Amino acid sequence: MAETSALYKSDDVAGYPEVAHDVKARLFDEVKADLRFPDYLYGCYECGICVAACPSARFYDFSPRRIAQAIAREDVALVYQQMEEDIWECSQCFSCVRCPRGNNPGGLITIMREVAINNGLASAREALEGYSRIIYKIMSTGTQVSPDMLQPDAFPDWGPEVKDVSDNLALWRRALPPETLHTTSTGWDVAERTLIELYVIWLESGVLEMIREVDEGLHAILEEIMQDRLEEEGIEP
Amino acid sequence: MGSERVVVIGGGPAGLAAAAAVADVGSAVTLVEWAPFLGGTPIAENYAALTPNMESAEVAMGRMIDRVTSNELVDVRLGSQVAACEPDGHGFRLELSGDGAGPLHADAVVVATGFQHFDPGRETQMYGYYEFPDVVALQDLEAMLKDHHVVRPSNGQPPERICFVQCVGSRDRQIGNEYCSKVCCGIASKEAIEVRQQLPDCKVFIFYIDMRMYGYWENQIYWPAQEQYHVQYVKGIITEVLQKGDKLLVRGEDTTMGRPMEVTMDLVVLSVGMEPSLGTRLMAKTFGVAQNKYGFIDAAHAPLDTVSTSRPGIFACGAALGPADLEDSVSSAAAAAVRAVAHARSHQPVGA
Repeated sequence: MAETSALYKSDDVAGYPEVAHDVKARLFDEVKADLRFPDYLYGCYECGICVAACPSARFYDFSPRRIAQAIAREDVALVYQQMEEDIWECSQCFSCVRCPRGNNPGGLITIMREVAINNGLASAREALEGYSRIIYKIMSTGTQVSPDMLQPDAFPDWGPEVKDVSDNLALWRRALPPETLHTTSTGWDVAERTLIELYVIWLESGVLEMIREVDEGLHAILEEIMQDRLEEEGIEP
Repeated sequence: MGSERVVVIGGGPAGLAAAAAVADVGSAVTLVEWAPFLGGTPIAENYAALTPNMESAEVAMGRMIDRVTSNELVDVRLGSQVAACEPDGHGFRLELSGDGAGPLHADAVVVATGFQHFDPGRETQMYGYYEFPDVVALQDLEAMLKDHHVVRPSNGQPPERICFVQCVGSRDRQIGNEYCSKVCCGIASKEAIEVRQQLPDCKVFIFYIDMRMYGYWENQIYWPAQEQYHVQYVKGIITEVLQKGDKLLVRGEDTTMGRPMEVTMDLVVLSVGMEPSLGTRLMAKTFGVAQNKYGFIDAAHAPLDTVSTSRPGIFACGAALGPADLEDSVSSAAAAAVRAVAHARSHQPVGA
């Protein structure tokens, strides 16, 4: 219940900016308005099966049950707090979907993250800060981690063989049987047509637009790459 | 068919079902009810709709009453009670007092004297049932729901926030009622749905220890209450109700969120449990049948014989045996009826 939250969190202890209640209510309404929402939350037994299955709950003060409960109870203050804190501790593995009521706490978190990103919440910026290179890679090439990103100095705990692989990366890659893996700057060979379709999807679905709120510079670079490529193909985005 | 007669004590759901069953298999039956009307607690306490199918209690009970009163094998004695019971051959000689006073021979007896609602004045928490007009019990809300007039008794205004407090007078060593009353989770949830139907803007909370809605009640009542009607179930029991301005402040713990809780309500509904009715206590003494430590009549050969008492020829059914929902009450009534008829016929001359 909203009025009880005030007993536990005061404005000056939270590590994120406090906002007016109507802002929190608007964010909460955005979560509930999502097309997927009715399929992700029915009712909660508070049985804890989702927490029992959750790997993140072992390492963080994180509970998928509390996420489902806070939304079910329409506790807008707590939902806001969770959007600024808890939701980024989820690894989106969806072990929680074993819920006997058919809830999907991980899916609720997906929606909450999207709302957090679309609204440029501080937590979203902070969470995505270290991922600009990954975002750049996945959105520009369609593959996430490419072999040339695995520099030995970045991963000293991987042992001495990483250096050897890294020095002769192209050779090692050619040793792999599937020809589509003979790449170094992408995870695998991405077909031209796939890439163009991806760019259209990023642009049309609003995914590229989401990046603008959290990293304006990255957004500008990606937008230029995509628009140039689509222009070459004669596609009007 | 012979000249045997079964006497059924109590005209509620169980007693009516027992009387109907005895007549259905062709034996004469006298139904003794001390109130001046039939229908028992659902009628006496103004129940709105029956759990779980939501049919009007008056309509459903009316159907049962008609079935019994229209059967010529049934003799109904309203405003009457059994004052004494003596052995009479293989049966009993009963002495009735009240409107139907007089002697009555019974070849077998079915006791269907039911329960009464726990008196919240005996609660060891501080709920203030007799102190605050806006603290009511399940049956008080039933009466308001029946009239389609759910208001705060203090000011006649419709409530904006209602909470139910579960297990009032049940599962409590301090009170002495260690048992679960079985039906209150379902009844509270049913009433919560009715409140949301009649007052769609009213927020409804249920504070509970654990929700016990077994079998089909799960998705007949519990899931719709939560998923369709957005009734808020909070695991944690209220310890105290206080006046705060013109609201009630309830204090408890939101246990699964791990935080103490103080919230204001317009109406607090105590989900009172079942205790043996005065009739059940009196009839146990009159017929000399054993009672359990809570005062309910002991089912002497449980679990596979649910209706025999400690005395041959005396059977019991429904909530006289302990907390029971309607379905269990009428089922045990039919079991008691057939056992009573069998007992009565076993001592009748063949062809009589």
